[in-house]
Amino acid sequence: MNDLTTILSSAMRLTAPLAFAGAGEQVAERSGTLNISIEAMMLAGAFFGLLGTSIFGNVAVGFVVGAAAGLAVAVIHANFSHRLNANTFVVGLTLNVLLLGLTSFLDETIDMTPHQAGVIRIPVLRSIPVIGEPLFVNRWPMYLLVVVLPLSYWLVQRTRWGLEVRASGEDPQAADVTGIDVNKRRRQSLYYCGLLAGLGGAYLAIAEVGTFNQNMTAGRGFLVNSAVIFGGWTLKGTMGGCFLFGAADALRLALPALGYTITPQLLIMAPYLLAILAMLFFASRNRKPAALAVAFERGIT
Amino acid sequence: MSKLVGLFSGAVSGGRGRRVGLYVVLYALAILAALALSALLVVLATDASPWSVFKAMYDGSLRDGAAFGLSLDEATPLLVVALGTILATRCGIINIGQEGQLIIGATFATWVALEFPGGGFPAIAATMLVAALGGALWAGIAAVLRFTRKVDVVISTLLMNFIAAEVVSFAVNRAYLLRETSVGGQLTVPQSDRIPENTRLPRIGHFPDFNVSTGVFLAIVLTAVIAVVVVRTRWGFRLRMLGMNPMAAASAGVSVAAVGATALILSGAFAGVAGGVMLTGTAFRLQPGFSQSVGYDGLLVALIARGSPIACVPVAFFFGVLRAGGGFLASTGVPRYLVNIVQSLLVLAALFPPVFLGLRERRKQLARARAAARMSDASVDTELVPA
Amino acid sequence: MASVVNERPSGAAMGGGSPPPVAAVELRGITKRFGDVVACDAVDLAVARGEIHGLLGQNGAGKSTLMKILLGLHNADAGQILVSGRPVVVKDPLVAASMGIAMVHQHFSVIGALRVWENVTLGERGRVDPKRAARHVREIGERYGLAVDPQARIEDLTTGQRQRVEIIKCLRRNPDILVLDEPTSVLTLAESQDLFGVLRRVVQEESRAVVLISHKLDEVLHATDKVTIMRDGAVVARHRTADTDASELAREMVGREVSLRSTAGAALGVVVDDAAAEADAAARAVRSAREVVLAIDDAHAKSSDGRRLLDGLTLDVRRGEILGLAGVEGNGQAALGLLLSSVLPLDRGTVSVSGEVVRTGKPGAMLRAGVGVIPEDRHECGCVLDMTVAENLVLADIDTVSSGVFVNTRLMRERAAELIERFSIKTPSPDTLMRQLSGGNQQRVVIARELSRGPKVLVAAQPTHGLDVGAIEFVAEQLRAAADAGVAVLLISTELEEILALADRVAVINSGRIMGVLDRADVELERLGLMLGGRAA
Repeated sequence: MNDLTTILSSAMRLTAPLAFAGAGEQVAERSGTLNISIEAMMLAGAFFGLLGTSIFGNVAVGFVVGAAAGLAVAVIHANFSHRLNANTFVVGLTLNVLLLGLTSFLDETIDMTPHQAGVIRIPVLRSIPVIGEPLFVNRWPMYLLVVVLPLSYWLVQRTRWGLEVRASGEDPQAADVTGIDVNKRRRQSLYYCGLLAGLGGAYLAIAEVGTFNQNMTAGRGFLVNSAVIFGGWTLKGTMGGCFLFGAADALRLALPALGYTITPQLLIMAPYLLAILAMLFFASRNRKPAALAVAFERGIT
Repeated sequence: MSKLVGLFSGAVSGGRGRRVGLYVVLYALAILAALALSALLVVLATDASPWSVFKAMYDGSLRDGAAFGLSLDEATPLLVVALGTILATRCGIINIGQEGQLIIGATFATWVALEFPGGGFPAIAATMLVAALGGALWAGIAAVLRFTRKVDVVISTLLMNFIAAEVVSFAVNRAYLLRETSVGGQLTVPQSDRIPENTRLPRIGHFPDFNVSTGVFLAIVLTAVIAVVVVRTRWGFRLRMLGMNPMAAASAGVSVAAVGATALILSGAFAGVAGGVMLTGTAFRLQPGFSQSVGYDGLLVALIARGSPIACVPVAFFFGVLRAGGGFLASTGVPRYLVNIVQSLLVLAALFPPVFLGLRERRKQLARARAAARMSDASVDTELVPA
Repeated sequence: MASVVNERPSGAAMGGGSPPPVAAVELRGITKRFGDVVACDAVDLAVARGEIHGLLGQNGAGKSTLMKILLGLHNADAGQILVSGRPVVVKDPLVAASMGIAMVHQHFSVIGALRVWENVTLGERGRVDPKRAARHVREIGERYGLAVDPQARIEDLTTGQRQRVEIIKCLRRNPDILVLDEPTSVLTLAESQDLFGVLRRVVQEESRAVVLISHKLDEVLHATDKVTIMRDGAVVARHRTADTDASELAREMVGREVSLRSTAGAALGVVVDDAAAEADAAARAVRSAREVVLAIDDAHAKSSDGRRLLDGLTLDVRRGEILGLAGVEGNGQAALGLLLSSVLPLDRGTVSVSGEVVRTGKPGAMLRAGVGVIPEDRHECGCVLDMTVAENLVLADIDTVSSGVFVNTRLMRERAAELIERFSIKTPSPDTLMRQLSGGNQQRVVIARELSRGPKVLVAAQPTHGLDVGAIEFVAEQLRAAADAGVAVLLISTELEEILALADRVAVINSGRIMGVLDRADVELERLGLMLGGRAA
């Protein structure tokens, strides 16, 4: 039982960065952007989050700086692809290269002091067997999710903004005729995604690890894309995907210590495989936004 | 894609000299800004001078024959990837899985190169063919998913990249697959053996003079073939029809599945060949991280060249220069990552002018409309008695 | 009746009373160019409260562009807009909405994946209140007889219901000015009557202004109070509807005398009520003795999301006849077109040409069997806009102008030159992009391509949609000539007038099924109307 608790705790820690970014990406994809620069946003969040913490000596400030860095990447992406109408994949791929280069470059030229967020132990609840520890003993930024997830749901499903975002992702031409500024909504959803992906990246660096390693996201941004697909473009499903992928990662790390051998490559590729399988088998249940990755330009019908 | 091309050609031919001049100025400004940003970064973050950095990049890529050859070697696989990508984009399929297709091609190629007896031309030919097969197979999976289960190609090819990376990692971690053979009880690392000398692409010229792998000629021949195929052949005609209007193509008897799948599989085959070229031309062994983002960069080359095979040549060369120059950066004490930064800033700079001018055109129209409305307002207001 | 082309009375003056009441909306000197084309040329239009104002004109006359300018979807190059006498700048649809202008679009602006109430609140400001929105949908639905379930998803509704949602969406904003763009093209005769009833209430009881854009004379004569006629981007005449008649309107709309008892008349929405072929019983006997060329038997098909498209459709077309397939939009016509373009596979049933069964859904199979298709939406599947005219003329026959694997450009251009000549296609050169041709000439290219292949069956789906009268006459002639030459012609159209003018036999489609087939001479409008609405013959 103790092993299970340990693995679950580890799974939670590995899920958190994905969950932040996933909540953001789900919004972006609902607006019609298949954002492949999450990797860049998370790297920016991780590096500048630690840099901020290092300069101001405060983890909370670091999170703000990290979120701002993710937002900055999103601003570039959004304005290139949803204002200037440049190809979103060109911009996304380029930003990934840019941020990998920039953070690695700066990592070699700037010295930063390691910092880590404190642990919050919630009394009473933490003593629930099995799930008590994974859920209620965590570094404090984990609990930001308690705000971020309901907020994301509310934004998309309950607000006018969310309605317009969904309209933009489903039928941009019709949305335009109704008086919705489609590209503006798409930019804004991408900003939101950048903020949250920045938080996710910051979580990676200053909540759990305490330092920055080059390419420390190691493809997690793409995992987030997979989670949104796996989750059928719903927030609940996306979070399910994030946890599943986080758990797979935790298992990969834990199993050898427990004496099991399982091909690590299989566990690493499992999330991508699962995402493809989800598209194969749940295609009818999982509704892709009809205009996902379709650029919108006025007057072209 | 066609829309982009139309925008571009329309702006150049329609607007005459002033338009072209504006383009040149904008491109120059954007590129200068990208370089200035890079230089600023060097000044702020390192002890080196920007000048020494650019000089090092020049030295590494263009200064002498050897450096020039290095740039060509770097450009070759990029060009091959880009050519394949064009086949897919021409018929409206967005394949972003070149990275995976490339390393699967290279994995297949490594196996053949290590096993093929005798070496020489037959071995190299077999290696290349199998590399193409590997890339085609990997893209083929996406094609099957697309045309039987309607799974989005963008998404599936993207995801398959990461699966491919693990497949390669698996292969080079298993002694019974491709992991290097232990010599005299030495510890081995997860990588393949080096392929035999006689299974490598011959080189022309010798260091320190101009020298280049013959892979570059393969790339040039392929460029010519693709240029002819997409413009002059029946198949190219169908490809174009499909890309511009799939419904019309389908009712004109073009099988969307057959032509689309063929194009996607071919684009995978090209990525595979690029992997084969890297293996037999420069890398000689398979290891994790083998691709060095050549797949992604090749895709960028094709997108920046806007679907023109001929335009891919200079763009690929430009990327090759940056890659070759980057290798030389370490000598100045500046982290080689600067190259990634310079490269991506330049790509963004290259994107900027055409899209910016398009936007400005739309803005102008709106402004004209508003001005017209306001002018007539004034004349009316004088007649109206304020309430 | 005093109407001269250059006369430009203001709408207010036409109201007759003095002092002239301020128009609900007035457009002055609106001009809009698209490239070299002048879509609107100094157009003046005034619409008063309490009137239904018809905006009549052929396709391409500038009606829709003018209204899109009023709605802020296009920006005018010159001119001004006055709402209740005050000059305004309508920069986008939101501004238009805030000034009380709403439009029911020809291609709906409702979004399939969203629910009815969500669509209804789309484009407004402020907090989303699901309960209030749903209540409004129900209330407005009751008040105007436009019932629809607020929780339903749009994609599950019929086209007629979707239009209801569109109208509810407009009325909920309590607009002063309601614009409807060709609203009856998706409605049955009965539904159209209902719609006009709603519009009548809207102007009489609530004193709103309604603009009805139309190219159908009967509709305008029947439903409007005043009418403004546009031609080539300019206003050519204005009338009180009561003071004019069909032939005058037709003349002004087309710019020359038009016989209303002709295909041109049909194109203008005048029903040719008695069949010219009536006496021609002998010819009928001859026709019915001819062999069946196209036979569709018990065709069933579903869309990818499981909706039923064809539901046991059975239909025969004989050599040398024009079979007109009438029906309200969205009843399986599109699926039938796709079926005969080899795009849609059947779940059950067969298609045979000259007795040979043709495999469905196999690209090019219908083509090879001798079925030529003039598709419903020529931009969507009839041509490739970014290819040249010459290329478009050989889309399906590229093999016939090739040497080996290469396209022989010389042969291709020769073929193009010949067809351009034979079908009088107006194009600067064979190498001009299809995009740069007018709609009529694009349609000529499609027809030329299909006829030049010598088809046994010619399927013409909405072949005159969006064309001006000259082009419509050309299309009609070509169809007639093809039938006379022995081709089996299947004319699919939502415009009853067109079918009555051209067809030898009339079939009615409803919900993917044939409701009945009548000889042209036996057609009674009332019975046809019932069949269109889904009652068996």
